[in-house]
Amino acid sequence: MREQFAKTLADLGADERLAVLIGDISHFLLRDFEQEFPERFYNMGIAEQSMLGVAAGLAMRGFYPVVHSIAPFVVERCFEQIKDDLCYQGLGVNIVSVGSAFDYAALGCTHHCYDDLAILRALPGMQIVYPSAPHEFDSLFRATYANGSPTYFRLPAKTHEVRTSPRFGEVELLREGGDCTIVVAGPQLPNALAAADALAEEGVACDVIYLTTIKPLAASARAAITASVQKTGKVVSVEEHSIIGGVGDEVARICTDVPFTARRVGIADRFLTNYGSYAEHCAANGLTAEGIIAAAHELA
Amino acid sequence: MDRAGDLRGIRRGILRMVHRAGEGHIPSSFSIVEILYALYARMGADDAFFLSKGHASAGLYATLAHFGFLDQAELETFGRYESRLGGHPSNKVPSVLSASGSLGHGLPMAAGYALGKKIRGEDGTVFCLVGDGEANEGTIWEAAAHAVRLGLANLVCVIDDNESQARAMPSINLEEKFAAFGWEASTVDGHDLAALEKGLFGGAPASGAPRAVVARTIKGKGVKELERNAVAWHHKAPSAEQLAAFEEELSP
Repeated sequence: MREQFAKTLADLGADERLAVLIGDISHFLLRDFEQEFPERFYNMGIAEQSMLGVAAGLAMRGFYPVVHSIAPFVVERCFEQIKDDLCYQGLGVNIVSVGSAFDYAALGCTHHCYDDLAILRALPGMQIVYPSAPHEFDSLFRATYANGSPTYFRLPAKTHEVRTSPRFGEVELLREGGDCTIVVAGPQLPNALAAADALAEEGVACDVIYLTTIKPLAASARAAITASVQKTGKVVSVEEHSIIGGVGDEVARICTDVPFTARRVGIADRFLTNYGSYAEHCAANGLTAEGIIAAAHELA
Repeated sequence: MDRAGDLRGIRRGILRMVHRAGEGHIPSSFSIVEILYALYARMGADDAFFLSKGHASAGLYATLAHFGFLDQAELETFGRYESRLGGHPSNKVPSVLSASGSLGHGLPMAAGYALGKKIRGEDGTVFCLVGDGEANEGTIWEAAAHAVRLGLANLVCVIDDNESQARAMPSINLEEKFAAFGWEASTVDGHDLAALEKGLFGGAPASGAPRAVVARTIKGKGVKELERNAVAWHHKAPSAEQLAAFEEELSP
């Protein structure tokens, strides 16, 4: 994923409005861009809040800035800069994070970030893009980086190999069934599809709706979610994020006129105080095909 | 040109705005009237200004109106529900580049704006006005480091050193602090127009460093009661009687 980020930036580097600011990460990864466009590449050190402000100032001069750091530092630490400098002023700064959720599992809670979707969703004018395959990042970044709105790209470490065709603001229906709606974002997609296939074998046919845009969802995307939930009356949401404020909440926000029961597969309202690996955290939080199947069974 | 009269008129305008709205920060606005006047009297089309200490918005609006960027009549809308002129400025206001209010945001944005001009090889200087209280904020010093690292010779940070933070956490030795970060730093009398003009428009130093101009000012400058009790008046509107007395003091 990070390699694709570097490749996409280098490909787009001829756009003289593209400027890249990094918070002292990925400098080796982004060397192609740096070497070719040094006047538009700056390592801003360990000073993320000012980095966001500098990006806002660049956007005022007509640049399309990209700021890049680890999710807790570039989102949670910089929340007020994102609110005041970017969203309030309507400036098209692109924030690209790595290390969201528990990607840096063993580094502990200071280096986890599973509230980023929640806090950024609440900001007016914020765009949130959550690709989980290289081709998804490439097409969604190209589609949005110059559209003048602040945009957050959440880049997970784990990626999938499902053939998807993401379009900004839209959702994809990757399995179709009338008994349950599985709404999934991020690298849990293969688990959601495996769960849907297993459930189908036991006679529970599922819609699987895959989100690469978290905000804003187009009217057609909202209609697709509503239609599915109306049909099934059951929702299992799956996300590597707190169950507060993420995809499950977005579905509930959209489906205000449709009765449904729901289970949320995600991170409960607690700190993940264990270390270990990404896979261990997934297992502990039910972010597995088995966990998704179990949630669907609870709704049966 | 009656500059003293202009300055008194701007201060009277601030008083009337805050009185009418029942809202606003008079002493913080009064301390920067000469700084704003010196800037707007000389800034050209290529220059840019960021008011980082946004609570002095009344001072900014009165100055903008004096120099023709706003109608004087619009000042009467200050603080109203539908007004463009809020208690902190936003980029809805003609000629205002950025919103401010939460302290410590303006200098990073001004640095980014200056960087944008530098990348494109554009002329002009970017001025940013911060308060000494605001210099408590860590982002001022993050930006101070960034501006040097980025070689922003086209950036000038003016510090309104009105000692507003004396009672809490004083911002001491500001000239030395900016110099220690690598800025070309100087201190001027912030109510002396000639000294301000020299400090602000003296040209980029040969070192290529950004410039910091510490303007020594008096909070509430121009009205004795406001100067004596600047803390009490920090966020307070005058009554009709007080307004009349203060305006009298600011009459020729």
